[in-house]
Amino acid sequence: MVSGAASGIGSATTALLQARGWRIAGLDLAASSADLSLQADVSERAAVEAAIALAEAELGPIRLLVTCAGHYEMTPFMEIGAAQLDRMMRVHVGGLFNCCRAVVPRMRSRGSGQIVAISSELGIAGGDGDAHYAAAKGAVIALVRSLAVEVVGAGIQVNSVAPGPCDTPLLGPDSPWRDPSYLRTLPLGRLVTPQEVAQSVLFLVESGSFFVGDVISPNAGAAI
Amino acid sequence: MTGTSSLDGRVVVVTGAAGGLGREICRNLAVAGARVALVDLPGAPDLAEVAESVGGLVCSADISDSDQVRSALRRAEEGLGPVNGLVANAAFMAMGALTDQAPEVWWRQIEINLIGTFHTCQAAAQRMVRQGGGAIVVVASEWGVTGWPLATAYAASKGGLVALTKTLGREMMPHGVRVNALAPGVIDTPQLEVDALAAGVSRVEIRERYAEAIPLGRVATPAEIAGSVRFLLSDESSGIVGQVLQPNGGTTRARA
Repeated sequence: MVSGAASGIGSATTALLQARGWRIAGLDLAASSADLSLQADVSERAAVEAAIALAEAELGPIRLLVTCAGHYEMTPFMEIGAAQLDRMMRVHVGGLFNCCRAVVPRMRSRGSGQIVAISSELGIAGGDGDAHYAAAKGAVIALVRSLAVEVVGAGIQVNSVAPGPCDTPLLGPDSPWRDPSYLRTLPLGRLVTPQEVAQSVLFLVESGSFFVGDVISPNAGAAI
Repeated sequence: MTGTSSLDGRVVVVTGAAGGLGREICRNLAVAGARVALVDLPGAPDLAEVAESVGGLVCSADISDSDQVRSALRRAEEGLGPVNGLVANAAFMAMGALTDQAPEVWWRQIEINLIGTFHTCQAAAQRMVRQGGGAIVVVASEWGVTGWPLATAYAASKGGLVALTKTLGREMMPHGVRVNALAPGVIDTPQLEVDALAAGVSRVEIRERYAEAIPLGRVATPAEIAGSVRFLLSDESSGIVGQVLQPNGGTTRARA
């Protein structure tokens, strides 16, 4: 199950996992190229539960959940409206919470499963003009670390991948993150690609058996 | 542990190659297609056998001596070709109470783990910069992040490696050399006997004690840590710079 499967990191993760033999149920507001495309809003708990039940009925037990659904907007702190803050929290923290609430009991009953939550380098380091996004992603990291130790005894492994500035549709063509003067400050000198983020997800899935509650950050050196 | 990272034809230098984790790293990298130069102390037990089993080249050196490191790197390049990768894994640990530990024993751990790794990274990076790039993986330790009773020098040296990695991540990436670290938790290697001896118990007993404190309920196998090394050396981690990956079974005390 990949949330946010229709674009950016979710789309790249879906493609890479499919190439490795996984069958993917994609959950997104938009239609995706997953094996099973489910359209729902991750912030709606009942809709997520229904989508996950449908995915299991169609494709079988969910062995892996990757949560990529999210949105990004840069807003000065004093201009963040209540609705903006609410939506940021509902999609990122609520979305992860809803997806985990739906899959954890299923994985627990089978004694195994893996969850990889996409967070953000901004959730580690913070960012100028990113207060509500960074706060939501920081909460995602704290949720991952807490859930990880709570469910590891049930055979479920939870970790996070925290991308740095990434070349996805979340960054508009005029985004300051694309400005050459910013890119020059990155040790890698460029944005990371959705494919690079997907590779970190794949690493955790295939070779991350001793990682529990860790946060791997392909961020071009933006946060070290 | 069925990692897929390909290191086809790359030349990788591994220090501490005869140790419990080192030999598994050599095996893992060789399976991924790397040509391995094995660095360990002259006369390290099994070094030749490990080298033979992975089709690698023995380049003995005491890494605390920069001249020996330089000549080992030169032998690696002459024997295998330009060096594309380095796994700085060699380490020495002597447990002991702060109040009892002799300064020479303390210093020897800093000399090998921190200064020796500096020599190795410097010699490898100079070659990598000349030939247009490479990747370095520094093997630090969970204890370098958390600290640990009776391991003052070891923890301090490994904490130094975390800071060294962060610095080199920033400094060397613009020159095409990508540097990252691992801070593994306890691994099931013969090193456990050192800890067991210090605690006055058997290796089985000490392993159980460690496992109890790890949320995953067990210590790491050398193979799963070696898989992380391979990932960080490969192009699949190309967006990861100056980071410290922490395969530690969920020990929540550790955050680099």
